[in-house]
Amino acid sequence: MLGLIRWTFWITVWVLIAAVFHYTLPQVDIVRITDTYEKRIDPGENKLFWAQADIGTDGTVVNRDVFFIQTRRAKGDVMVYRNEDTGWRWPPYFKFDTSNLQAEAGDLKSSEAAPRYAAIKHYGWRNEFLTIFPNAISIRPVEGPDAAKGIPWVNIVILTLFAAVVYGIWVRWRRFRMARIDPTLEAIEDDFAEK
Amino acid sequence: MAALARLMVIGFIVLSVIYVCLSLYSRAVRKGKLRREWHEGPQDQSLDAFMDEGLEDYDKSLRRKLILSVYVIPVILVSVVVYLTNFA
Repeated sequence: MLGLIRWTFWITVWVLIAAVFHYTLPQVDIVRITDTYEKRIDPGENKLFWAQADIGTDGTVVNRDVFFIQTRRAKGDVMVYRNEDTGWRWPPYFKFDTSNLQAEAGDLKSSEAAPRYAAIKHYGWRNEFLTIFPNAISIRPVEGPDAAKGIPWVNIVILTLFAAVVYGIWVRWRRFRMARIDPTLEAIEDDFAEK
Repeated sequence: MAALARLMVIGFIVLSVIYVCLSLYSRAVRKGKLRREWHEGPQDQSLDAFMDEGLEDYDKSLRRKLILSVYVIPVILVSVVVYLTNFA
Protein backbone atom coordinates (compact mmCIF):
# COMPACT_ATOMS: atom_id res chain seq x y z
CA MET A 1 0.00 0.00 0.00
CA LEU A 2 2.75 2.38 1.00
CA GLY A 3 4.67 1.37 -2.11
CA LEU A 4 1.65 2.17 -4.30
CA ILE A 5 1.27 5.62 -2.72
CA ARG A 6 4.97 6.27 -3.13
CA TRP A 7 4.95 5.27 -6.80
CA THR A 8 1.84 7.33 -7.53
CA PHE A 9 3.40 10.35 -5.83
CA TRP A 10 6.70 10.17 -7.70
CA ILE A 11 5.14 9.42 -11.08
CA THR A 12 2.83 12.43 -10.63
CA VAL A 13 5.75 14.67 -9.67
CA TRP A 14 7.85 13.61 -12.67
CA VAL A 15 4.96 13.88 -15.12
CA LEU A 16 4.34 17.44 -13.87
CA ILE A 17 8.02 18.34 -14.20
CA ALA A 18 8.16 16.85 -17.70
CA ALA A 19 5.01 18.78 -18.65
CA VAL A 20 6.48 22.07 -17.42
CA PHE A 21 9.63 21.51 -19.45
CA HIS A 22 7.70 20.38 -22.51
CA TYR A 23 5.56 23.50 -22.30
CA THR A 24 8.35 25.97 -21.55
CA LEU A 25 11.36 24.85 -23.58
CA PRO A 26 11.65 26.05 -27.18
CA GLN A 27 10.80 23.78 -30.10
CA VAL A 28 11.13 24.38 -33.82
CA ASP A 29 8.54 23.62 -36.52
CA ILE A 30 9.05 23.86 -40.27
CA VAL A 31 5.92 25.58 -41.58
CA ARG A 32 4.37 27.43 -44.47
CA ILE A 33 2.67 30.59 -43.22
CA THR A 34 -0.80 30.88 -44.74
CA ASP A 35 -2.12 33.94 -42.95
CA THR A 36 -1.56 36.35 -40.11
CA TYR A 37 -4.33 38.10 -38.19
CA GLU A 38 -5.27 39.56 -34.84
CA LYS A 39 -8.28 38.67 -32.78
CA ARG A 40 -9.78 39.95 -29.55
CA ILE A 41 -9.14 37.55 -26.71
CA ASP A 42 -10.87 37.33 -23.34
CA PRO A 43 -8.80 34.86 -21.35
CA GLY A 44 -10.94 32.92 -18.86
CA GLU A 45 -10.29 29.47 -17.45
CA ASN A 46 -7.38 29.19 -19.87
CA LYS A 47 -5.77 32.37 -18.49
CA LEU A 48 -2.68 30.47 -17.37
CA PHE A 49 -1.83 29.69 -20.98
CA TRP A 50 -1.96 33.26 -22.23
CA ALA A 51 0.67 35.93 -21.71
CA GLN A 52 -0.19 39.52 -20.87
CA ALA A 53 -0.65 42.77 -22.75
CA ASP A 54 2.37 44.12 -24.62
CA ILE A 55 5.08 45.52 -22.40
CA GLY A 56 4.39 49.12 -21.43
CA THR A 57 0.68 49.02 -22.26
CA ASP A 58 -2.18 48.82 -19.77
CA GLY A 59 -2.31 45.29 -18.40
CA THR A 60 -5.41 45.78 -16.28
CA VAL A 61 -8.11 45.85 -18.97
CA VAL A 62 -10.05 42.62 -19.34
CA ASN A 63 -9.63 41.88 -23.02
CA ARG A 64 -7.13 42.73 -25.69
CA ASP A 65 -6.12 41.95 -29.25
CA VAL A 66 -3.65 39.13 -29.81
CA PHE A 67 -1.65 38.47 -32.96
CA PHE A 68 -1.95 35.04 -34.55
CA ILE A 69 0.08 33.24 -37.22
CA GLN A 70 -1.76 30.60 -39.22
CA THR A 71 0.39 27.91 -40.76
CA ARG A 72 0.45 24.54 -42.41
CA ARG A 73 3.29 22.46 -41.08
CA ALA A 74 5.68 20.61 -43.36
CA LYS A 75 4.32 17.33 -42.02
CA GLY A 76 0.87 18.21 -43.32
CA ASP A 77 -1.30 19.32 -40.40
CA VAL A 78 -2.24 22.91 -39.60
CA MET A 79 -0.97 24.86 -36.62
CA VAL A 80 -1.98 28.24 -35.29
CA TYR A 81 0.50 30.19 -33.21
CA ARG A 82 -0.24 33.13 -30.99
CA ASN A 83 2.29 35.93 -30.97
CA GLU A 84 2.52 37.65 -27.60
CA ASP A 85 5.14 39.45 -25.53
CA THR A 86 6.43 37.40 -22.63
CA GLY A 87 8.00 40.60 -21.30
CA TRP A 88 9.79 40.30 -17.97
CA ARG A 89 7.62 37.39 -16.86
CA TRP A 90 7.63 33.62 -17.09
CA PRO A 91 8.71 31.91 -19.31
CA PRO A 92 12.02 33.82 -19.48
CA TYR A 93 12.27 34.44 -23.22
CA PHE A 94 12.21 38.22 -22.63
CA LYS A 95 10.31 38.73 -25.85
CA PHE A 96 9.27 42.32 -26.57
CA ASP A 97 9.28 42.35 -30.36
CA THR A 98 5.83 40.89 -30.97
CA SER A 99 4.86 43.47 -33.60
CA ASN A 100 8.14 43.03 -35.49
CA LEU A 101 7.69 39.28 -35.46
CA GLN A 102 4.21 39.70 -36.88
CA ALA A 103 5.67 41.82 -39.68
CA GLU A 104 8.24 39.13 -40.45
CA ALA A 105 5.54 36.46 -40.46
CA GLY A 106 3.37 38.54 -42.80
CA ASP A 107 6.31 38.95 -45.11
CA LEU A 108 6.80 35.18 -45.33
CA LYS A 109 3.18 34.41 -46.24
CA SER A 110 2.85 32.07 -49.21
CA SER A 111 0.28 29.98 -51.07
CA GLU A 112 0.20 26.26 -51.69
CA ALA A 113 0.97 26.91 -55.37
CA ALA A 114 4.17 28.85 -54.62
CA PRO A 115 5.22 27.63 -51.18
CA ARG A 116 7.91 29.27 -49.02
CA TYR A 117 8.95 27.60 -45.84
CA ALA A 118 9.99 29.00 -42.49
CA ALA A 119 11.35 27.62 -39.26
CA ILE A 120 9.25 28.91 -36.40
CA LYS A 121 10.61 28.67 -32.88
CA HIS A 122 7.91 28.49 -30.26
CA TYR A 123 6.99 27.27 -26.82
CA GLY A 124 3.65 26.09 -25.48
CA TRP A 125 0.87 23.77 -26.54
CA ARG A 126 -2.03 23.81 -28.95
CA ASN A 127 -5.09 22.44 -27.21
CA GLU A 128 -8.51 22.67 -28.81
CA PHE A 129 -10.40 21.95 -25.58
CA LEU A 130 -8.79 24.87 -23.76
CA THR A 131 -8.36 27.13 -26.81
CA ILE A 132 -4.67 27.59 -26.17
CA PHE A 133 -1.93 28.19 -28.72
CA PRO A 134 1.84 27.91 -28.73
CA ASN A 135 3.60 31.28 -28.59
CA ALA A 136 5.93 32.04 -31.51
CA ILE A 137 9.37 33.33 -30.50
CA SER A 138 11.16 33.81 -33.80
CA ILE A 139 10.81 33.07 -37.49
CA ARG A 140 13.47 32.54 -40.13
CA PRO A 141 13.04 31.53 -43.76
CA VAL A 142 14.38 28.08 -44.73
CA GLU A 143 15.09 26.26 -47.98
CA GLY A 144 12.26 23.79 -48.05
CA PRO A 145 10.02 21.46 -46.07
CA ASP A 146 12.93 19.14 -45.25
CA ALA A 147 15.20 21.86 -43.84
CA ALA A 148 17.19 20.97 -40.73
CA LYS A 149 15.84 22.33 -37.47
CA GLY A 150 19.27 22.74 -35.88
CA ILE A 151 20.61 21.21 -32.69
CA PRO A 152 18.58 22.33 -29.66
CA TRP A 153 21.55 23.55 -27.59
CA VAL A 154 19.46 25.52 -25.14
CA ASN A 155 17.33 22.50 -24.31
CA ILE A 156 20.40 20.28 -23.98
CA VAL A 157 22.12 22.70 -21.60
CA ILE A 158 19.03 23.35 -19.46
CA LEU A 159 18.04 19.68 -19.17
CA THR A 160 21.64 18.65 -18.39
CA LEU A 161 21.91 21.28 -15.66
CA PHE A 162 18.55 20.24 -14.25
CA ALA A 163 19.61 16.56 -14.23
CA ALA A 164 22.88 17.48 -12.49
CA VAL A 165 21.05 19.44 -9.78
CA VAL A 166 18.51 16.65 -9.21
CA TYR A 167 21.29 14.05 -9.05
CA GLY A 168 23.27 16.22 -6.61
CA ILE A 169 20.28 16.59 -4.29
CA TRP A 170 19.45 12.89 -4.56
CA VAL A 171 22.98 11.74 -3.72
CA ARG A 172 23.16 14.05 -0.70
CA TRP A 173 19.74 13.01 0.54
CA ARG A 174 20.64 9.31 0.24
CA ARG A 175 23.91 9.84 2.09
CA PHE A 176 22.10 11.79 4.81
CA ARG A 177 19.47 9.04 5.14
CA MET A 178 22.05 6.29 5.39
CA ALA A 179 24.08 8.21 7.96
CA ARG A 180 21.30 9.63 10.16
CA ILE A 181 17.81 8.31 9.55
CA ASP A 182 18.38 4.60 8.89
CA PRO A 183 20.46 3.99 12.05
CA THR A 184 17.86 5.82 14.15
CA LEU A 185 15.01 3.77 12.68
CA GLU A 186 16.97 0.56 13.22
CA ALA A 187 17.66 1.55 16.80
CA ILE A 188 13.95 2.13 17.34
CA GLU A 189 13.14 -1.24 15.75
CA ASP A 190 15.70 -2.98 17.93
CA ASP A 191 14.22 -1.23 20.93
CA PHE A 192 10.78 -2.57 20.08
CA ALA A 193 12.14 -6.07 19.44
CA GLU A 194 13.70 -6.19 22.89
CA LYS A 195 10.45 -5.34 24.68
CA MET B 1 7.59 48.66 -15.66
CA ALA B 2 5.86 46.91 -12.75
CA ALA B 3 6.79 43.54 -14.22
CA LEU B 4 10.45 44.56 -14.51
CA ALA B 5 10.44 45.82 -10.92
CA ARG B 6 8.90 42.57 -9.75
CA LEU B 7 11.51 40.53 -11.63
CA MET B 8 14.32 42.61 -10.13
CA VAL B 9 13.01 42.44 -6.57
CA ILE B 10 12.37 38.68 -6.66
CA GLY B 11 15.65 38.09 -8.49
CA PHE B 12 17.55 40.16 -5.94
CA ILE B 13 16.03 38.23 -3.03
CA VAL B 14 16.72 34.81 -4.58
CA LEU B 15 20.27 35.73 -5.59
CA SER B 16 20.96 37.23 -2.15
CA VAL B 17 19.95 33.94 -0.51
CA ILE B 18 22.32 32.09 -2.87
CA TYR B 19 25.06 34.66 -2.23
CA VAL B 20 24.81 34.39 1.56
CA CYS B 21 24.75 30.57 1.48
CA LEU B 22 27.72 30.43 -0.88
CA SER B 23 29.70 32.94 1.23
CA LEU B 24 29.11 31.01 4.45
CA TYR B 25 29.98 27.72 2.73
CA SER B 26 33.16 29.07 1.16
CA ARG B 27 34.31 30.55 4.49
CA ALA B 28 33.63 27.28 6.28
CA VAL B 29 35.68 25.38 3.70
CA ARG B 30 38.55 27.82 4.17
CA LYS B 31 38.30 27.43 7.97
CA GLY B 32 38.57 23.67 7.67
CA LYS B 33 41.59 23.97 5.39
CA LEU B 34 43.32 26.40 7.80
CA ARG B 35 42.70 24.12 10.76
CA ARG B 36 44.18 21.16 8.88
CA GLU B 37 47.15 23.29 7.82
CA TRP B 38 47.83 24.31 11.41
CA HIS B 39 47.72 20.71 12.65
CA GLU B 40 50.17 19.63 9.96
CA GLY B 41 52.40 22.71 10.24
CA PRO B 42 55.10 23.82 12.70
CA GLN B 43 52.47 25.24 15.11
CA ASP B 44 54.61 28.27 15.99
CA GLN B 45 51.42 30.32 16.49
CA SER B 46 48.35 29.59 18.58
CA LEU B 47 45.49 28.05 16.55
CA ASP B 48 43.31 31.14 17.07
CA ALA B 49 45.96 33.57 15.85
CA PHE B 50 46.71 31.36 12.84
CA MET B 51 43.01 31.11 11.95
CA ASP B 52 42.39 34.86 12.37
CA GLU B 53 45.32 35.66 10.10
CA GLY B 54 44.26 33.12 7.49
CA LEU B 55 40.65 34.32 7.46
CA GLU B 56 41.77 37.92 7.17
CA ASP B 57 43.75 36.94 4.06
CA TYR B 58 40.67 35.14 2.79
CA ASP B 59 38.51 38.25 3.28
CA LYS B 60 40.84 40.16 0.98
CA SER B 61 41.12 37.35 -1.57
CA LEU B 62 39.86 37.31 -5.14
CA ARG B 63 37.96 34.09 -4.48
CA ARG B 64 35.64 35.87 -2.04
CA LYS B 65 35.01 38.67 -4.53
CA LEU B 66 34.30 36.14 -7.25
CA ILE B 67 31.20 35.05 -5.30
CA LEU B 68 29.74 38.41 -6.36
CA SER B 69 29.39 36.87 -9.83
CA VAL B 70 26.24 35.28 -8.40
CA TYR B 71 24.71 38.70 -9.11
CA VAL B 72 26.62 39.46 -12.29
CA ILE B 73 26.07 36.25 -14.29
CA PRO B 74 22.23 36.32 -14.27
CA VAL B 75 22.22 39.98 -15.38
CA ILE B 76 24.55 39.13 -18.28
CA LEU B 77 22.46 36.06 -19.11
CA VAL B 78 19.23 38.09 -19.21
CA SER B 79 20.87 40.76 -21.37
CA VAL B 80 22.08 38.11 -23.83
CA VAL B 81 18.63 36.49 -24.01
CA VAL B 82 16.98 39.90 -24.54
CA TYR B 83 19.38 40.59 -27.38
CA LEU B 84 19.02 37.17 -29.01
CA THR B 85 15.23 37.10 -28.78
CA ASN B 86 14.54 40.62 -29.98
CA PHE B 87 17.44 42.00 -31.97
CA ALA B 88 19.51 39.13 -33.41
